[in-house]
Amino acid sequence: MCGIVGYIGEKKAQPILLNSLSKLEYRGYDSCGIAIAADGIEVHKDAVRVNELKKRLAPLNGTAGIGHTRWATHGEPSGVNAHPHCDCTGKIAVVHNGTITNFQELRDTLAAEGHTLVSQTDTEVIAHLIEKYYDGDFEKAVELAVHDIKGSYTMIALMAGESRLIAARKDSPLIVGIGDRENFIASDVPAILDYTSRVIYLEDDDIAVVSAGDVRIKSNGASIDREEHKILWSVKDAQKGGYEHFMLKEIHEQPKVIRDTLAEYISASEPAADLAVAGRAGLENLLILACGTSYHAGMVGKYLIESLVKAPVRIELASEYIYSGQSSPRNTAIVITQSGETLDALKALKKLKEDGCRVIAITNVVGSTASRLADQTVYTRAGPEISVAATKTHLGQLIALYWLALPYSKVDIRKLDELVMELRQLPVKVQQVLDKEDMIAEYAKQLAEYDNIFYVGRGINYPVALEGALKLKEISYLHAEGYASGELKHGPFALLGSRTPVVAVVAQDNTYEAVVTSIKEIKARQSPVLALVDEGDENIPELVDSVITVPQVEPLFSPVVNAVVLQLLAYYVARQRGCPIDFPKNLAKTVTVE
Amino acid sequence: MKQAIVLAAGEGQRLRPFTVTRPKAMLSIADKPILQYVVESLAQNGIRNIVFVVGYRKEQVYDYMGNGERFGVDISYVTQGAQLGTAHALSQAVDIAEDEFLVLPGDNLIEADTIADFVLMSTDAVLVKRVDNPVRYGVVNIENGEVKEIVEKPKEAGSNLVNTGIYAFTREIFKFTESILDVPDVINNMIAEGYTISTLETEGTWLDVVYPWDILNINDAVLRDIEATQGGTIDAGVSLKGQVSVGEDTMIRFGSYVSGPAVIGCGCDIGPNVCIMPGTSIGDNVVISPFTEIKNSVIDNDVSIGPGCIIEDSVIGKGCVIKGRFTAFGGQSEVRVNGESPLANVGAILGEDCRVENNVIAQPGVIVGNYCQVQMNKMISGRLPDRSLIY
Repeated sequence: MCGIVGYIGEKKAQPILLNSLSKLEYRGYDSCGIAIAADGIEVHKDAVRVNELKKRLAPLNGTAGIGHTRWATHGEPSGVNAHPHCDCTGKIAVVHNGTITNFQELRDTLAAEGHTLVSQTDTEVIAHLIEKYYDGDFEKAVELAVHDIKGSYTMIALMAGESRLIAARKDSPLIVGIGDRENFIASDVPAILDYTSRVIYLEDDDIAVVSAGDVRIKSNGASIDREEHKILWSVKDAQKGGYEHFMLKEIHEQPKVIRDTLAEYISASEPAADLAVAGRAGLENLLILACGTSYHAGMVGKYLIESLVKAPVRIELASEYIYSGQSSPRNTAIVITQSGETLDALKALKKLKEDGCRVIAITNVVGSTASRLADQTVYTRAGPEISVAATKTHLGQLIALYWLALPYSKVDIRKLDELVMELRQLPVKVQQVLDKEDMIAEYAKQLAEYDNIFYVGRGINYPVALEGALKLKEISYLHAEGYASGELKHGPFALLGSRTPVVAVVAQDNTYEAVVTSIKEIKARQSPVLALVDEGDENIPELVDSVITVPQVEPLFSPVVNAVVLQLLAYYVARQRGCPIDFPKNLAKTVTVE
Repeated sequence: MKQAIVLAAGEGQRLRPFTVTRPKAMLSIADKPILQYVVESLAQNGIRNIVFVVGYRKEQVYDYMGNGERFGVDISYVTQGAQLGTAHALSQAVDIAEDEFLVLPGDNLIEADTIADFVLMSTDAVLVKRVDNPVRYGVVNIENGEVKEIVEKPKEAGSNLVNTGIYAFTREIFKFTESILDVPDVINNMIAEGYTISTLETEGTWLDVVYPWDILNINDAVLRDIEATQGGTIDAGVSLKGQVSVGEDTMIRFGSYVSGPAVIGCGCDIGPNVCIMPGTSIGDNVVISPFTEIKNSVIDNDVSIGPGCIIEDSVIGKGCVIKGRFTAFGGQSEVRVNGESPLANVGAILGEDCRVENNVIAQPGVIVGNYCQVQMNKMISGRLPDRSLIY
């Protein structure tokens, strides 16, 4: 996964490209580079972050250029492998976001034809392909090059002596920003918001020819008009406003995210999307697909829908479904992806559509690929999330799932009223967890002393344990395992002991007795236990070493408050250990590669 | 003057239960925190570089105000670890203060007119206001337009002009803030050392909130100036009279009657057949069920009110769930707050996240703490501490 940008206009391209790139670092940041067209093409790149590159560079004069911030896929992060990549003549430069599946074959052919490829990246073949096809027509050469490529090839090409950039989109996002006698190209909107709020979203297979005064878009060889959008949120949305890290800021935004996500649907008493459609057995064949944190939200959705709607739900990892999943055309599928651009989720989504399924997307990004491919989209109104570790978008996903399920629930009207009221109260309950931040930070200090931590939960809080462990892994680099507490006895008991603490999520539902039994078994193996318990619980504090009380909520909604406790716990463990919380090593925000 | 330093670190103990989880400056009036009115007044007077001194529950300020972009200003933050005094608070901003700056309390209602002339004054200066009962305040003794002395809460006031806590200073002030904790003391010391502090009297709004029921007075003052705006969905058959502001995504259902001035926030579900009478502010994500009447009251975010309730002259904290037939009428009552027993005309004061079951009657002046639970058919009165269970 990577971020790419392009600029062409009357101003110097260098500062604009570097600024735009810094806004895309959430997409990857192990190396970066820019190419500027002046007389020839000048390329500067290395395995450093954008800020470092900015410091190293002397001012360059060109007014057209491209840039790239990278998350390594083919070839380790290094100066050679960093983008942009050039052809043999050094007159064509390319930046690329995606994975070319037939690159070895292309590489061998190009090498046999006498091209010298210097890097291990797949991207370099694009530059050489354009060189190969160039007979005086830059545009045609790019079209022919793209034609040879299999896989995802979202890219921008720059050529010396040409007064235009040529961009192509396939499977990764790309937008064109419209300026005044200047135009921009970028992977995502924040990159260009300092300069313009007018945006065109490119579609798959589009080729855009962008000069200072003109934007032309072609699809399958024919010119096509794409709608221009006006972006209303601004870059400053993404600043930290008092907090030390974006992650903590975003954790604190969650009461508002719940309110905003609910406001869209709930007061109008409308279902968020049609789970059941006339003539389909949708409610009997629900399928949920997602990856990572979204997958954990999906798991909560499974427990929730099965409990409320009384219909079986299948949940699969989107990244596995594309290899093994079977679905009937009678399925309704819910695909959850924060960015709406996660490649594995999009591939699964496309497969579902090919199979004839109806697809509901849950995503945070309006106009994202997932929302355009799906039949219906439920938006989480979380705003841009900068921290690589997802928090507020996860909560938004949970709220969206609640509001998907509630209108179809088979409970009586009194219970339904109570559930809706409790759902509306969640912002206050989450705020009460945030108000306990200092206490949670104290427990985090203790946890930070250990190297291995178990998280256990059961029922609808089992995914909460998984998510808690994932958050800790992501940002604190501690080894954490999430388990259904009933599964501990099938192996993991061997790992417990006084140096392996256990975080237990205890809910006041039908799992309570079973979790108490598990906690006793864990204590018998000397593991320190930190339990998340309901305020009214007098039993658990006697059994465990420490307790974080959470506000009383309907057990079906307990994943919301428990998730927030575990987010704060992970945050403060990472902070105690001095980790770079917002941008953890080896991770990128939106995974647009396999 | 290009910069303002706004003091928003204080707790406001006499305003409990509302200040248990937030600083006084973040008390919500007409669906906005007091602090926002201060910021908007500064922005209207062209002051967009704003420094907040935060301390007690500072995250509440961060979460709402952020970097100020929503309000068209640039906000930076400094933290006061312990709330020792206003001069101590101001001294936290020493590293980012410009040569000249305004100082304002973040927890007083200050309107744009109030400071319009003052922002043009040269330093050093104090903004004063004429009040009826000056002994509650810092009384400013003035000679030839210059401050002679500020006397805090005097037994007998020599003048009706009191200190608004709004000042214009230069960086010279930081020579004094190292050893003196409160700004009025600083001013008295500056005068003793030969500094001249000029004064300006304002006719504009400057209101302090001291007791929970002051929220109603200040709410009243704000509502007088609101403009009608309409978001959300208003059913046919709903009457909106006077100045009524309705937020986005709010639903007002058939047969409801809203008489302004009144503010209703975003994402609310109101009606059918709900009566909202003048002087009422309703926050975001609030549900009001059929046949309920609300008058001269402040309802915070995420509150749910059942059918057939009458709520007058009351303040309901965020997240409260009030079931059916709750009754709270205003009336004269003597309420003890921190040893003081002022008289007030007030209905019920409910802290956050309380749960009140059906058919509960609130006596005038009852103050219910945070997270309390009241069972069916109870009469509540007096002062109930946090987490009370009324069986």
